[in-house]
Amino acid sequence: MNFLSVLVLIFSPLVASGLIFTSFFKNNEVRIRRFSKTFAGLHFLYTLMFLVFFNPQAEGISYYKEITFFGSGWIEPLGLKLAFGLDGLALLMVILTSLIVFLALIASKSNIKQKHKFYYSLIFLLQTAVLGVFCARDMFVFFMFWELELIPMYFLIGQWGDAKAKSSAMKFVLYTFFGSLFMLLGILLLHFYYFATYGVMTGDFSSILVSAPEFPLALQVLISILFLIGFAVKLPLVPLHTWLPDAHVDAPTPVSMILAAVLLKMGAFGIIRFNMQMLPDAFKVLVPALLIMALINIIYTAFIAYSQTDLKRVVAYSSISHMGIVLFGLCSLNLMSFSGAVFQMLSHGLISAGLFMVVGIIYIRTKTRQISELGGLAAVMPRLAGFSIILTLAAVGLPLLMGFVGEFMVFLGSFNSALDDILPIKLYTLIAVLILVLSVCYMLRLLHETFYSNLLEKWHNLKDIMMHEFTVLSIISFCIVVFGVFPMFIINIVQPLLTGILEFLR
Amino acid sequence: MEFFNNILNTMLPEIAILLFIFILIILSMTLDLKHYKLAKWITLLGIFTATALCTKIQVEPIAYGFKDTFISDYYTLFFKFVLLIASFIIVFLTKKAITSRRDNAFQFNAILLTAILGALILVSANDFLTMFISMETLGFATFFLLAFDKGYKSKEATFKYILISAVATAVFLFGVSYIYGLTGTVNFSKIYEYFLDVDPTLLYSMATIFIASGLCFKLGVIPFANWILDVYEGADTSVVTFVSIIPKVAMFSILSRLLVFAMSYSFELTFTLVVISVMTALWANTLAIRQTNIKRLLACSSSANAAYVLFAASLVSVFNLSTVLFYLVAYVFMNIGVFSAVIILENSQFSNRLYEFKNFAYTNPIFTLCFSICILGLAGFPITSGFVSKLYLFSAIIRSGLVFLPFLIIMMLTIVASVFYYLTVVRLMFDKSDKVESEVIPHKTSSAIVILYFCALITVIMGIFPSKVIELCQFIAYNV
Repeated sequence: MNFLSVLVLIFSPLVASGLIFTSFFKNNEVRIRRFSKTFAGLHFLYTLMFLVFFNPQAEGISYYKEITFFGSGWIEPLGLKLAFGLDGLALLMVILTSLIVFLALIASKSNIKQKHKFYYSLIFLLQTAVLGVFCARDMFVFFMFWELELIPMYFLIGQWGDAKAKSSAMKFVLYTFFGSLFMLLGILLLHFYYFATYGVMTGDFSSILVSAPEFPLALQVLISILFLIGFAVKLPLVPLHTWLPDAHVDAPTPVSMILAAVLLKMGAFGIIRFNMQMLPDAFKVLVPALLIMALINIIYTAFIAYSQTDLKRVVAYSSISHMGIVLFGLCSLNLMSFSGAVFQMLSHGLISAGLFMVVGIIYIRTKTRQISELGGLAAVMPRLAGFSIILTLAAVGLPLLMGFVGEFMVFLGSFNSALDDILPIKLYTLIAVLILVLSVCYMLRLLHETFYSNLLEKWHNLKDIMMHEFTVLSIISFCIVVFGVFPMFIINIVQPLLTGILEFLR
Repeated sequence: MEFFNNILNTMLPEIAILLFIFILIILSMTLDLKHYKLAKWITLLGIFTATALCTKIQVEPIAYGFKDTFISDYYTLFFKFVLLIASFIIVFLTKKAITSRRDNAFQFNAILLTAILGALILVSANDFLTMFISMETLGFATFFLLAFDKGYKSKEATFKYILISAVATAVFLFGVSYIYGLTGTVNFSKIYEYFLDVDPTLLYSMATIFIASGLCFKLGVIPFANWILDVYEGADTSVVTFVSIIPKVAMFSILSRLLVFAMSYSFELTFTLVVISVMTALWANTLAIRQTNIKRLLACSSSANAAYVLFAASLVSVFNLSTVLFYLVAYVFMNIGVFSAVIILENSQFSNRLYEFKNFAYTNPIFTLCFSICILGLAGFPITSGFVSKLYLFSAIIRSGLVFLPFLIIMMLTIVASVFYYLTVVRLMFDKSDKVESEVIPHKTSSAIVILYFCALITVIMGIFPSKVIELCQFIAYNV
């Protein structure tokens, strides 16, 4: 087990991103792409090895590692360490990240036509940043990687995107930066009050986890709200969501996949890590408000998704809606819905990546994303239509597919939640369940009008999906079906951790 | 005899610089024009000698010289090192300024050394008179440096600088006269001791506010900030590099000392400075968004950075002081890096317009990488020292009490705006454009390129392993 190092896990993509600039690759586009795909695939296998040797019942953090430099940590005078480790939740997110990056690199073949070196190295830099966020065991390290992720993402959207990509990318960065400054404020306050109370400076999750509940409640709530602003931008929560449709529409397909599948999860991951795990009392105070916001997120964006005319926008808004379900599950304070929310994070990651892939495939061939200009594509692209049916049905929550499990667990759990005594959560759940109807409305409309209405004359010569596109879609569909049938395999990995978190929240 | 002891104990670096100023002036009258390159090497030798002599001066216990008007301790030693190292690097950047006016090469370097001399004495000043004289030495030398460029824009910039400088000096002296009237002394330690027994009045607060706003001129902070854009645009870039670093660092050193000793009794002053810094951040960062000239943009950026530091410096504590020191060190290297990149561009016949930056990433990848690192450092993105220094600075401000939290939030929001313009600069270099010819930057500016690489490297190293530097800064701050 010694070969499993979390540092290798995080920083090997960084090494790869540097290797791409060596003279071996010159400007040989095929060689660069093959190297990148191989590397990402190996990296994915490596993360799976972590899963094999992972013991969900183990107390504390597995695979803990610290980087030191001449015997001192990162910012020793502030007690900050470059510490990394994995728990059940982080492990799942790491595997999702690695898988999605692998798939996105395969999908890049038909989407990226210029500046190859730069593109692939940025993707690997992004991967390092995201893995760093998930594996960080120190608040400030978390924040550092959170910020670091902005730069590659900015270029990935801006340089390879469509018409208004540059302003969309800037919007994405400014929104996230805005949120993260509040998060930084929260982190600094927590860091300072820990120092004021215990006389020790530290940013370590595990230390603060134990003692943060002893701070004054008002302070905890303040810090919790500051964190929430940061995570609400990424999640995204409704008033702060406007960057997402723009960024998604203008980003190239592989980047959209990563953005939807991995980066949005960072918001939910942060809420679990910071708000629920570290400040449980404050979270309990905020739950009533958050539940309402989650409801608005679910219903409001579903309606907007229905009224969109652009394929990618429909998928983007459905993303926001589904992340609302995640937040709803987190706020229900019930083991069933909590596990459901985590499962929903994974299932949404796979499904939305798949849906963006489908939209991207259509866009490359037809150069349009307007639903009104498409129609009847199933006749010329039967294989794509087949995959689309699986993905859409998973998105609307058909049983035996991955989407169903998450939503069902969230709603079942929240209906039986112990919050029933103080909040009308049964009513909330009933309203939230409307999403099942609404998502059927917009998703099936999308499926029908794109693939099954009349085929226009000009689309008669479209080619069906190619080999690499087939690979991506079949891997995603395979996962969706397998884990839809055997969800407990995933849930068992996180359940001990979630049970522990919930104990503090009760 | 006591006089010479004083000199030996406290003033060695300054004396060395003075000696080299005389050497340069004498050589300028005797040497032939074709030896103009010698001027640079003599200047470098002078700065190097001064740096070496810094290790010889007495700092422990604290040494006073010339009847307590001159002080030498770890704090001044630290700042002298920073100033000398920064000016050592900047001298390499003056190449172009000198080649265009070879006949004045020796004078230019003599004046440059005079400015450094002023800055060094300013750091060590322990009473208002020494401070005023050294400030004016630095100021007058800067006038000449700014006007050195032949273009009419530099003359205009210099005139603006002189006028506002005169007003600022008047305001400063006005405040000092009140302090003298109240206490009967101009010595920092004596003023500090005087107010241990006597309650400070409102007049004291007024006086300190006048003094502080007089100092704001050189920092480029709000009451006297409007010179900064035109001066940065008009003057020669190497001189601008000098102006953006040396007076600023020296001024922060003396301002921090004043705030710790002579001006430490006034809450009104603290509050005013916080408001000033937030307003400056707001002003500079919104102004920068619309700039299309890199030098004007950097002027705004330097003003904004001064505002961040001023915020922490005004909330006096040992911890805050250490963050100020670290921020200044980080800032010096990032700023020199950015300006050396601008100089490289100028030397390769690019104008300072931002849209000319297109295609750089594909024609000069390493140059773009280093330039981007320095710019992103100024914006405060991770893996650069800019990130660590901002983090450290804000942690200090948070510690100073929740009263200042609203101000901090406003300032952080202006930082979001700053990300916009910094990222725009970086983005433009990665844009592809057919109109602009993809010219490779020639290698005739090798020293500037080396400096850029060096600064980018330092920025990254200090971003990843800042521990040792922060520990040094804390040690210095504890010893004030």
